[in-house]
Order: sequence, then structure tokens, then C-alpha cells
Amino acid sequence: MAVPDEKDGAVPTSVDLRTLIKVGVRPHFLDYLVALWDYRHFVFFDAKASVQSGNSRDRLGSIWLILNPVLNGLTFYLIFGVLLQVDRGIENFIGFLIIGVFLFQMSSRSISNGARAIQSNLKVVQAFNFPRATLLLSVNIRELLASVPVIITMLVLILLLEPAEEITWLWFLVVPALLLQTVFNLGIGLILARVVSRVNDVANVISFVMRILMYASCVMFPISLFDPYPTVQEAIEVNPLYQVLTIVRESVLYSEVPSWESWAILGAWALGALAVGMVFFWLAEETYGRDE
Amino acid sequence: MTNKIEFLSEPPAVVVNNVSMAYRVPTSDNAASTGLLRSIRRAIGNRPMVDVHALQNISLVVGRGESVGIIGRNGSGKSTLMKLINGRVPPTSGAIYASSRPTLLGVSAALVPDISGEQNIILGCLAMGMSKKDISTKYQGIVELSGLENSIHLPMRTYSSGMASRLQFAIATAVDPEILLIDEALNTGDDQFKGRTKQRMDELLGKAGCVFLVSHSVGTIKEMCTRVVWLDEGELVMDGPADDVIKWYTTFIKHLTSRDRVAAMKTKRRVMNDLVVPHLMARETGRRSTE
Repeated sequence: MAVPDEKDGAVPTSVDLRTLIKVGVRPHFLDYLVALWDYRHFVFFDAKASVQSGNSRDRLGSIWLILNPVLNGLTFYLIFGVLLQVDRGIENFIGFLIIGVFLFQMSSRSISNGARAIQSNLKVVQAFNFPRATLLLSVNIRELLASVPVIITMLVLILLLEPAEEITWLWFLVVPALLLQTVFNLGIGLILARVVSRVNDVANVISFVMRILMYASCVMFPISLFDPYPTVQEAIEVNPLYQVLTIVRESVLYSEVPSWESWAILGAWALGALAVGMVFFWLAEETYGRDE
Repeated sequence: MTNKIEFLSEPPAVVVNNVSMAYRVPTSDNAASTGLLRSIRRAIGNRPMVDVHALQNISLVVGRGESVGIIGRNGSGKSTLMKLINGRVPPTSGAIYASSRPTLLGVSAALVPDISGEQNIILGCLAMGMSKKDISTKYQGIVELSGLENSIHLPMRTYSSGMASRLQFAIATAVDPEILLIDEALNTGDDQFKGRTKQRMDELLGKAGCVFLVSHSVGTIKEMCTRVVWLDEGELVMDGPADDVIKWYTTFIKHLTSRDRVAAMKTKRRVMNDLVVPHLMARETGRRSTE
């Protein structure tokens, strides 16, 4: 009889462990993806609830969803259009600026909220056992839902402010561009959420990186500003957010069909970020919500 | 020392196998580090770290239908044990097995303050993987168990802590969790709620679930539990029928309150001498065919 040597008072106990699961072990990757699909109602409910409650403590409530980017655009217009006069050579600078500010702000919010998704939902994470990546999905769907009034405002402003643009079928290209942008935001959010859940300090750095990214996306000046520096220009051109802005500006403001290169760069970044982000996030699935 | 092997034919609900837990925590005791490192740490506000042994070599096998109370003084490792079984904290050594992921109910409400109680119920149920149809059939029952019919449409942030923990209990038990861990969460409820809680827990136990209950109130434990585990300073002192353990624990505490440390430790040592812990042997895969 192979009774292991043990201390006094220990009774060898034969237990059938096959029906049990080890606590704190993450599921297989494919099971995880299936679970994400099973939790789709949770994702949508959470997203809707937080769109409604996001500004519930403000007197103006959901109007801030629109007021925020409008005020932001106005600030940038004062600085870059009136004070610094960067609009030289840009046709319809106001439209250019509005698209830049509105769309960039969406990414910036999605990514920084996504990075904090675990921290800001810590109690829900600790109380319930669900695939944690649903929180990131929910953040991005929330931003997508909140973007609908923002995009409509953006298009209305472009129609109202001089010089007025005409509505063409190219305007519909805004939809696939936004979807790819959302997928990119999700992927980056997944990566950052894991990093921030381990090293909270990174959350402090994100806003600075986003600001650099804003200048590197040509939100409020044309890429021709960098004509003397071809390397910088090339770097900006592989930036997916720059490509989102370019696609929307070309189709909405200049009635041009966006180049396939723009779509290819944006698409590659979006799908690449999602694939890398999903695997990277899943690898630490069991650690989210732990007390440090 | 017997050579007898305890053979569990029924699969248990929770198995805690030789688990130890040490935390690394900051200390304000500056003797723990010296020299240059200490000055840097002090400058950035980090404090030196020390290991705290919260639990040492704990083994438990808990079957279906058992309600286990955990008692012990402050800092004896009760909450740590709950967090380990829940999987919120990974053990330093050893492993924990469970028939499904245990649900932990803590003191702080795990709900979203800015949305209403109603929305929190739906969100919580969805987070536990319930379908929309299940939720609409169980919704009324959840509201009744929480006793919040009048304030269910108000934002959660307006609830008192007792109301919040009642709602949380009602949500968490809506899925009939197989394993429920309750860490002092019932203390904030009033007597009426305690009655409903007991009833709901009995229902869960009837459905082959198991409940772990941490409480400082020996009365609550006596009322709710059939088996009691006594922890002291991270060690398992006693594990047995509720009445026996509570009797010895009360004696121990009585000695401590009368500042008779020697008698208290004597009691503890005496009980620990009789302690019998399971030494886990995982059954081989092939064994079942020869049964």
C-alpha cells in the first residue's frame, strides 16, 4: 500500500478529482471565444446602461455627449485656425478640424476607458465569474453607441458651416471606417487593460501617449506640414488613426474615393490589434480582479 | 496512526489540498530594509515589504449539502481562505478544486452605483450567464428576497449598506450557485432578512450545493451551519460538528477574555492534538473500471 508518509493525524483520503475543476485556471482559448459570444447580452446591456448613466450626475445629462466634442472642436479652432493660422492650404479647414477632433476623441476615450476597464469594474469582476474581455467589448460598444449622435452632429456641422459640402454616396464610407476604428480601439484596449491591471502606473502615461498620437494623426494640421521631414511623414502614414481621418475627410469633404492603401493599412492594424490583443488579454484571464 | 484509507465515493464539492498563503505587504517598520534602498523607497513613498503567513497547510474536503462555518479571531485567515476558494487570490502553495467556480459574497456591494437596483439585477444575472428568459422568470423572486420593492427603481448609490448587501445576496443566489461563500455579508441585514437568508441557504443545500459562512457571531454560525472549521493564526485548529467546535472555541475565547493566555493556548493545543486532516490522494483514472 503506497500510503505517503504524512504527519500525525492525517488520514489518507482518496478523492475523485475528475469531476472537479481547479480553481483559478483559465479556459482554453476557443472555449473563451465561445463564452464571449454567450455573454453578448451582458455586453450590450452593460454598454447601454453606461451610456445612459454616464452623464447622469450632470444637469445637462446626455447632451454632454455632443457638447463635449463641439467645445473641443471650438477650442482647437481658436488655437489652430485663428491664433496660429495653420489652415494655410487646406480646403474647408473647419470641416477638416471637426472631423479630426471628433473622430480622434472617440479613439482616445475608447482606449483610455478600455485600459481602465478592469480597474473601474473591479467589484463586478470580483463578484461574478464571466469572461473579462466582455468588459472591453462593452466599453467599445458603448463608445460606438455614443458616437452615433456625435457623428450626426459632426455631419450636420459640416453641412451648416461655410463652405457647405454636398452629400454624396461617399458619405456612407464613414460607417466601415468607424467600425474598423472601433476594432482597432478594442485591440489596443485589450492589450492596455492587461498591462494596467498589473502595473497601474501605466494608466498615468496613457494620456500623454494619446496626446503624441494626436499630433501624429494630423488632427488639426495637414500632413504637408511635415514636408521637410519625409521620415516623419512616412511614420504618420502607417498610423491607423491618421488613415481613419484621411478616409473620412476625403469622402465627406473632398468627394474623393479613399485610396485602397488607406483601407489596407487601417484594416491590417485593426485585425492585427484585435488578434494580438485577444490572445494577450486571455493569457492573464485568471488574474483579473485579484487582490494585490 | 492508522493505515485506513478514507474512500470518498461521492465526488466532493470543494477540496482544499495543503494550501498555504503568504502575503507580501508593506510595513512601516523601517528596520526591515536598510541603506540606499531604504532612502529611495522612502522618497517615492514605497515602504519595505515583509511576508505575512496568512494560512499554513490547510486541507479540507467538503461534500455536497454541507454548510461550513468558519470561526476564529481577527487575523486568523478566515477571509483569506474565502478568497482562495473563490480564486480571487492564488495560493502560495497547494491547490483548490471545486465542482464549479464558487461565488463569494463580501461586505462591499459588488454592484454599479450609478444605475438602478432593477438594472443591477439584470446586469448581475447576465454576468452570471443567465438568459433573458431566465431573468424575466426569476426577477420577481429576486426583488422579493431582497425586500426592496419600494426602492428598486432608484440608483444603487442611494441604498444603505444593508440594502445593497441584501440585493447582492438575492442576485448571487438567483442562479442556485453550487458553492456559495459568505464573508460577513449577512451581518448588515436585519432579522427579517436573516430569516429569508436561512431559508434560501437551506434551499441551496437541498439542491446539493454547499455553503461556507464566515462570521464573528457564534450565534449565526450555530444557526446556519452543521460543520465548523476553527482557524487560529493561519492554522487549522479544529474541524468537526458545529456544537463540538463551538464549545471548544467558546472555552478558548473565555480564557482569552479573562486574560488567561496560558489556559487558552492549552485548550488550543489540546484540540489541535486530536485534529485529523485529510491527506489527499487523487484517484487514478483507471480505478473506476475496477470498482
